[in-house]
Amino acid sequence: MKKRMVVLLILLPVAAAVVSLFVGRYLIPPQDVLFALFPFLGETSAENLTVVRSLRLPRIIAAAFVGAALSASGTAFQGVFHNPLVSSGLLGVSAGAGFGAALSILIFSVTWASYPFAFLFGLAAVALSYWVARIYKTAPAIMLVLGGTVVSAIFNALISLLKYVADTDRQLPAIVYWLMGSLASVRYQDFWALIPVGAGLVILLLFAWDINVLSMGDRQAKALGVNVRAAKTWIIAGATFATAGAVCLSGVVGWVGLVIPHIGRFLVGNDNRRLLPVSMLVGAGFMIVIDTVSRVIVASEVPLGILTALIGAPFFIYLLKRKKGGGWQA
Amino acid sequence: MNALEVEKLSFSYGKEPVLQQISFGVAPGELCILIGANGCGKSTLLDCALGYLRPDEGTVRVQGVDTTTLSERQLARKIAYVPQASEPSFPYTVEQIVLMGRTASLDGFARPGKADMELAQEALRAVGMSHLADRPYTQVSGGELQLVLLARALVQQTDIIFMDEPTAHLDFRNELLFLERVNALLTGGNTTVVMATHAPNQAFYYESRGVPVTVCAMAHGNIRYRGTPTQVLTRERLEDIYGVEVMRLTHATQYGVTHQIIPVQTVGGKP
Repeated sequence: MKKRMVVLLILLPVAAAVVSLFVGRYLIPPQDVLFALFPFLGETSAENLTVVRSLRLPRIIAAAFVGAALSASGTAFQGVFHNPLVSSGLLGVSAGAGFGAALSILIFSVTWASYPFAFLFGLAAVALSYWVARIYKTAPAIMLVLGGTVVSAIFNALISLLKYVADTDRQLPAIVYWLMGSLASVRYQDFWALIPVGAGLVILLLFAWDINVLSMGDRQAKALGVNVRAAKTWIIAGATFATAGAVCLSGVVGWVGLVIPHIGRFLVGNDNRRLLPVSMLVGAGFMIVIDTVSRVIVASEVPLGILTALIGAPFFIYLLKRKKGGGWQA
Repeated sequence: MNALEVEKLSFSYGKEPVLQQISFGVAPGELCILIGANGCGKSTLLDCALGYLRPDEGTVRVQGVDTTTLSERQLARKIAYVPQASEPSFPYTVEQIVLMGRTASLDGFARPGKADMELAQEALRAVGMSHLADRPYTQVSGGELQLVLLARALVQQTDIIFMDEPTAHLDFRNELLFLERVNALLTGGNTTVVMATHAPNQAFYYESRGVPVTVCAMAHGNIRYRGTPTQVLTRERLEDIYGVEVMRLTHATQYGVTHQIIPVQTVGGKP
């Protein structure tokens, strides 16, 4: 990989974060943004201080981690299940988390409760998928995909049920909004979710080479010396922790976990030793841009899930055209 | 001590027995060719010996060690595997595919390094495929891919290599090319090869090249005939194994007198 590309890829999320700090519906002069970030440079108003430090900054950090987590998990799942069409939500983590959040919105009126609820139900959904797949002794990849589909269907049905019984003035809009994804309400006290995200990402990076080998199929992976069951369990656990942590911060954000991995594949090829870190960087940068757009373009925030598809899809088509399919067979 | 020793190995899918008390050994440096009709258990036998399938009973010993006591990594340092054809995966480069053969030699979370890369390039040269190193492996021909997978088995640096119908999808020249590379491997060192194949003439090819070959003709989950190609691949026995009437021609080549099997017609039901 060329040095220039490495620098560009690292600069992408950094530059996006810096730009994002300076823009917003609440107009703050650039020097005041700097003063808010670095108080020793000068003084600014309390409002400016709050907007930059407690609203914009945590959102940017959260967006970066959410993007990195969804992209890395999607990359790992595509590799382990040797299927380029799967994404981070494959094993039901998104549907489970969505149900957990909706449930907590219905039971409690406080918003912070939806974070742990989403996290725990996300984990539970993946555990359930895994258990379904174990009906077959060897838990082959296709059974896991099937298990994930079944479990997602169950949780999506339960989400519909909760929407049906929800109070249409307050609860239903909150549930719908959460399911479309948003970082608007992220505060520093929700940052505990970055711990599972960070842990998950570290696990995935450690298993990067094994993901390559596992993508050749179980039989070959085993013959090449990988403990298939243990490696898969670790990778699924890592991806699940990262995604569950991300989903409980941002709600359900589709598309990122499917497409960012492919953008990474176009950029650096399929070797997960490079692909995973690149996916994380591109995902982080992409999510910061999306979240910034979401809070800037109109007065009321645009849900993230809508923007990821509307901005991500044309860019993906452009890449497909430029890279002429990137080595995929006809 | 035998390189590979299979003892009373049995395996069944549910109630369907596939392998029944199968026993045989392969000496170091020997080529063991498994033949038999579809469904006779050749692939299952290889899968059991590789630890991919768990046999119902019996043991597999590699250089005297019971394979169930070995971890995946330890076993992969003793046996490499060339599959029939690789299921399509992501478009890794040919070089990355070969590099995967180094997995078993890595410790802990280590990744292949420069030395591993050099081994991969050397193996690609040995099979004559170095010009394809940077091509996506999904875009090379079936014959080239089999040679790449052979290179991957070579960098695994094992004493034993299993091959499951490695020439099944190859054209006229590539099949021979593959046989020649394996022949070089067998005559050049002390590698033991166990190969399942549907082409009895391949056994004669190796026999005529002076490789120590044993043919195991399988039927109904057991070895029915075992011996040199000349002993096992006779008209009567091939008819018994495959239900095919054949002619066996004997002719002289520059490598000495050898045989060729020519199928004539199917006879009876499926044996």
